[in-house]
Amino acid sequence: MSPVREARRARVWDPALRAFHWILAALVIANWLLGQFGPNVMTLHFWLGYSIAGLLLFRIVWGLVGPAPARFVSFIRGPRAILDYMRHLGKREPSLWPGHNPLGALSVVAMLLALIWQVGTGLISDPEDFINVGPLADQVSSATARKAVGWHHLGGSIILILVLLHVAVILYYRFWKNEDLVRPMITGWKWVRRR
Amino acid sequence: MRLIKSALVAGLIAVPVLATAQSGEDALEARHGYMRMLAINMGTLAGMAKGEIEYDEAAASTAGANIAALSQYGAVALFVPGTANGEIDESDALPAIWEKPEQFAQKFTAFAEVASGASEAVKGGQDNVGPALQKLGGTCKDCHDDFRKPE
Ligand code: HEC
Ligand code: HEM
Repeated sequence: MSPVREARRARVWDPALRAFHWILAALVIANWLLGQFGPNVMTLHFWLGYSIAGLLLFRIVWGLVGPAPARFVSFIRGPRAILDYMRHLGKREPSLWPGHNPLGALSVVAMLLALIWQVGTGLISDPEDFINVGPLADQVSSATARKAVGWHHLGGSIILILVLLHVAVILYYRFWKNEDLVRPMITGWKWVRRR
Repeated sequence: MRLIKSALVAGLIAVPVLATAQSGEDALEARHGYMRMLAINMGTLAGMAKGEIEYDEAAASTAGANIAALSQYGAVALFVPGTANGEIDESDALPAIWEKPEQFAQKFTAFAEVASGASEAVKGGQDNVGPALQKLGGTCKDCHDDFRKPE
């Protein structure tokens, strides 16, 4: 991407966060497909689900104690900051934002919450087929365990929408705003506004 | 055995006539009972597979035989028109059942095929229960995925 005059390259995403991001993306896509089209015996779906649970746990810890751009308090902003940012959203120029912008932060939080929801409902699901019963289904009432299957199904649709939105916005930045957000998530380096 | 077979065949023919003559509520209650009976026997096998119930060849084989017997019952006939989810309270039956009746019937056939060997398959030790259960459960899931509302 072409450097802009008042911009400088800065190290934004730390290696752990980048690894987290790409492993999570691969596992969520794989597990979504396994849930929808996988074999009837869902052992692999369960194991990938546990791995995703572990990644989410890491992300929460990293959001509290990690480097600044990874920390929740650094990127979760109020409505004022979000509206402010949105005024420049249509402009055909890179945002040069040093991390998650205030609007994008909403998407980050939404995706993390949706995945936590998905893991939680999966763990307590009882689809009454006697082979794919969530390991914690017997810790809740059988009515709840049955409803959880529906919630998990709903969660799958929500995750699909959020992921498609995520990718669409990245394409929008790439082609409309001429800003490559993918490379920084691979190398860690991003063009940011000089201050 | 011949007697049982002819009784079953008579049952298969008689059931559609009976079911259509009865109210949707009766059919709904009956198919819920039918599924619950499957579930009770599946529960026995699942308990043994996980080691929560001590393996007992006779009990496992009986559970398998019960499932096989149920699989021969003409349960399709319990899905009378007007009893889909939304049309009648407590129904989780998706409209797809009436839109794709052949596919729905095919799921029952697939289940019956696996069920026919279940009583033998679970004999000979606890290790045999898990694989048999997975084959059976796969056919439950296969049908529920397409024809049962996930709720
Ligand atoms: C050919 C399709 C089909 C097969 C095979 C099938 N089911 Fe079902 N099952 C259904 C449908 C449809 C419903 C929803 C019925 C309703 O609510 O009207 C259902 C509902 C259920 C219910 C809930 C009943 C209730 O009280 O609401 C249980 C439990 C159940 N099935 C267990 C099983 C088990 C265990 C197996 C396998 C051994 C199995 N089913 C195989 C179609 C199937
Ligand atoms: C974030 C990770 C996960 C994703 C993206 C995901 C996605 C999905 C999807 C799309 C389905 C198909 C739903 C449907 O069409 O009804 C599904 C089914 C299922 N998932 Fe997950 N899942 C995840 C985690 C888990 C976990 C951790 C468990 C439990 C340990 C679990 C247990 C189940 C079960 C039991 C089903 C089958 C429900 C049925 O038979 O109808 N999932 N999952």
